Amino acid sequence: MERSAPVWGLAVIALALLILLPLGWLAYMSVSGERGVTLANYIRVFADPRLQTALWNTVLLAFWSGVVAVVIGAPMAWLSVRTDLPGRSTIKSLVMASFVTPPFLGAFAWVMLAGPNAGYLNKLYRSLTGAEGPLFNIFTMSGLVFVVAIYTFPYVYIMIANTLELIASDVEEAAALLGASRVWVALTVTLPLVFPAILSGFILAALQALALFGSPAILGLPAGFHTITTQLWAFFQYPPKVEMAAAFSVPLLLATALLLLVQKRLLGRRGYAAVGGKSLQRRSIALGAWRYPALLGCLVVLACAVFLPYGILTKAAFSQAWAQPMSRENFTLAHWSFTFLHGGTQAAIVNTLELGLLTASVGAGLAALLAYVTSRKLVAGHQVLGFLALAPIVIPGVVLAVALFITYTRPPLLLYGTLWILFVAYLTKELPVGYAQSDATFRGIHVELEEAGRILGAGRLRVLGEITAPLARSGIIAAWCFVFIGVIRELSASIILFTPSTKVISVVLFDLKEEGQFGAIAVLGLFMLAMTFGIVVLMQTVLGRDVLGARSSGSATG
Amino acid sequence: MLDVNIRDLTKRYGDVAAVRGLDLHVKGGELVALLGPSGCGKTTTLRLVAGFLAPEAGEIWVGDRCLSSPAAVIPPEHRRMAMIFQSYALWPHMTVAGNVAYGLRFRGVSRADRDRRVKEMLQVVQLEGYGSRYPGELSGGQQQRVAVARALVVEPEILLLDEPLSNLDANLREEMRFEIRRLHDTFGITTLYVTHDQAEAMVISDRVAVLQAGRIVQIGTAQELFEQPRTRFVAEFVGKTNMVDAVAEGPNRVARGGLRLQVGATDLEPGTSVAISIRPHLIEIVRGSAARDAGTDVNVLVGTVQRSSYLGDGMDYQVEVDGSEIVLRVAGPTPPRVSVGERVMLWIAAASCVPLAAAREGPQ
Repeated sequence: MERSAPVWGLAVIALALLILLPLGWLAYMSVSGERGVTLANYIRVFADPRLQTALWNTVLLAFWSGVVAVVIGAPMAWLSVRTDLPGRSTIKSLVMASFVTPPFLGAFAWVMLAGPNAGYLNKLYRSLTGAEGPLFNIFTMSGLVFVVAIYTFPYVYIMIANTLELIASDVEEAAALLGASRVWVALTVTLPLVFPAILSGFILAALQALALFGSPAILGLPAGFHTITTQLWAFFQYPPKVEMAAAFSVPLLLATALLLLVQKRLLGRRGYAAVGGKSLQRRSIALGAWRYPALLGCLVVLACAVFLPYGILTKAAFSQAWAQPMSRENFTLAHWSFTFLHGGTQAAIVNTLELGLLTASVGAGLAALLAYVTSRKLVAGHQVLGFLALAPIVIPGVVLAVALFITYTRPPLLLYGTLWILFVAYLTKELPVGYAQSDATFRGIHVELEEAGRILGAGRLRVLGEITAPLARSGIIAAWCFVFIGVIRELSASIILFTPSTKVISVVLFDLKEEGQFGAIAVLGLFMLAMTFGIVVLMQTVLGRDVLGARSSGSATG
Repeated sequence: MLDVNIRDLTKRYGDVAAVRGLDLHVKGGELVALLGPSGCGKTTTLRLVAGFLAPEAGEIWVGDRCLSSPAAVIPPEHRRMAMIFQSYALWPHMTVAGNVAYGLRFRGVSRADRDRRVKEMLQVVQLEGYGSRYPGELSGGQQQRVAVARALVVEPEILLLDEPLSNLDANLREEMRFEIRRLHDTFGITTLYVTHDQAEAMVISDRVAVLQAGRIVQIGTAQELFEQPRTRFVAEFVGKTNMVDAVAEGPNRVARGGLRLQVGATDLEPGTSVAISIRPHLIEIVRGSAARDAGTDVNVLVGTVQRSSYLGDGMDYQVEVDGSEIVLRVAGPTPPRVSVGERVMLWIAAASCVPLAAAREGPQ
């Protein structure tokens, strides 16, 4: 037994507590009745036609969001990696901007842009054409799909762009030399090579849509339809029906796990995707006359995802009435003073920052420890440990919240009502991101560097502190930033676990929507975006690397 | 100086035994090379000695200390050893001096002494004035020297080297072989040296242990291994050789078709099959085919030159021996004495025909 054993032991226990305990309670609660084990909860849930509709809506939302994300993301990835499209790097940055934009913020913005009556674009349309009805109504399933897809297409984009970058031009040229036309090459060589990436991008995008709470709540509920996530949330409105929520969580959990399994299989087989050797030479395909139409297409997508939403949020942040034209009379700073000086929002900002700092610090530390233990195979069953650390990926935020609610509203751990339950939720949810980042970091540090220290007389913990830690530092800082960004924008777990004294920014945003306070929403949203972009820029300058590129498959957010 | 005693060492990875019942004794101050192809267990053996791995069976002793046994493994940091790694394993965040000084901190060396010893050691490896550089700023050969300095400065009881030269280019590798041997002669540390390069093993070490499938199949000086290989594996792994599969006719005679050979043995069982190793450079090639009596200890074969290759520092002939389908490779001096198609005689001393043990052919 080594002296360092207790440290590893502690990590193992922490992990079991974080993941197995809540999931165990969730499973138990879903089959518990007044008289022992029962399937009554499941039967009640699945026999209810309203809940069946919610299930079906979720399927529709996930499927169509995935499809639209592929339709948008795949051509954009191809254009920006493979062709001479003007402004490729700018487009890439803007796609990343859309990637880090909280989807619920986009949904708020689109309410202001395309609400049927007051929506900015609809008013513009009516004033231009004199028509009576709206051009778009965002409060529909297709509106919801649209708003979800413009924030999930980056998943497809990243998957496909990464794959395309691994395909050397000579693979295509070999086909061209054999006499194939350009279109035929694209269809018979390039497309089959990227197909696994397309499918796996589709799955990732669908998974995001599946787990999302904010957008369906903002756009679906006013239109009178539920998805699984909003329905789970509704179960917690008074009087809470926890058993039914537990039973209703299970299909979402299983669907997520299944989809991720399929996606992993697809990526595992990507070996044949011509991961070329040293000569990864790529020659851009000349678009010719299509250059500017293609650019226009990309800009339209980015306008929907970034320019228009950010524009309307900025306008709303400084207007007394966001729907009115910008003028001197309409200008105000009241939303800013309200947001930062008003007790309620101020407290939420403080809570969010506290939780962000705490979760990021503990999370990055725990993730680093776990990644170290698993990458160095320090304990028997380290594979199980790695699996557990990544397991929360399959738990949508709402489901996690249901499980944590069940676990921590009873002795011995009465955390409900405190910030600690949010901390536990965030920690669990962000652990996979932190772990994946740390794992890659430690795998990049050759074991011999540590062994050299050991054989010269340094104990394992000393080597960890003096050799491994300094070398892993930038990777661990990156993990910290990912967790922090993930926490400050978290909504779907917070919305179930908050209490009046433990509100966070995202929850306040949701409350403000009920009050129709779009000015304050805009200010808080911009504040959240500023923090996010600030950290991304900081990471990229301090750590000197393309941080977001490394995060091709992330956790569920929103 | 302490000796290393390895007894019946066994290490398994799952169902696969990487090391199976390995015995080795390294005398104090001796340099022994562990030589073998990849997967033979040589690196695993070294890592067992270093304490990075725990054995399933067997013991490792240094002097009168038992360092490893299935019951207890003393951790690497308490073994008073040093190791030079294949990747050099220099810490990129520390200067050259920081790297070299690291081990001294755990040996109760005062700061002033530390600086002095680091300086001296950098002098020994010809890196004076490089102390404040970072490893990333050095060439491969210089990094190698830093790794050597870092290992030697702590005056270890045992020095372990894991293919330390395999990342260097050919010229530098040759130079470093002599350098390592020179340092060994200077410091006289008991050393285990892992390599898959037979020439490297032969230049550097006092004795070479050839490993196959987790066991030592033969250990001896370079000359012993080369001239008296015990098994087919050793004969083929260490240097080039001609392999003749024959049947014993008498205690010191074998036959293969029409070919008869006297061999360097006296205890062959007539009727058993036996493989004979004949080194190409121990065959003398003479023009002509007139039968000549060369004495009882020499085999004289007659044949025809099939191919002749000019290698610069020597000739490589292929000669088909009359009355058999056997083609022998023969090394000769330049300029060439015979040409393709010519009739030649091959003189092979009986002692140069080495019968090999049939046992343990190939990995089990």
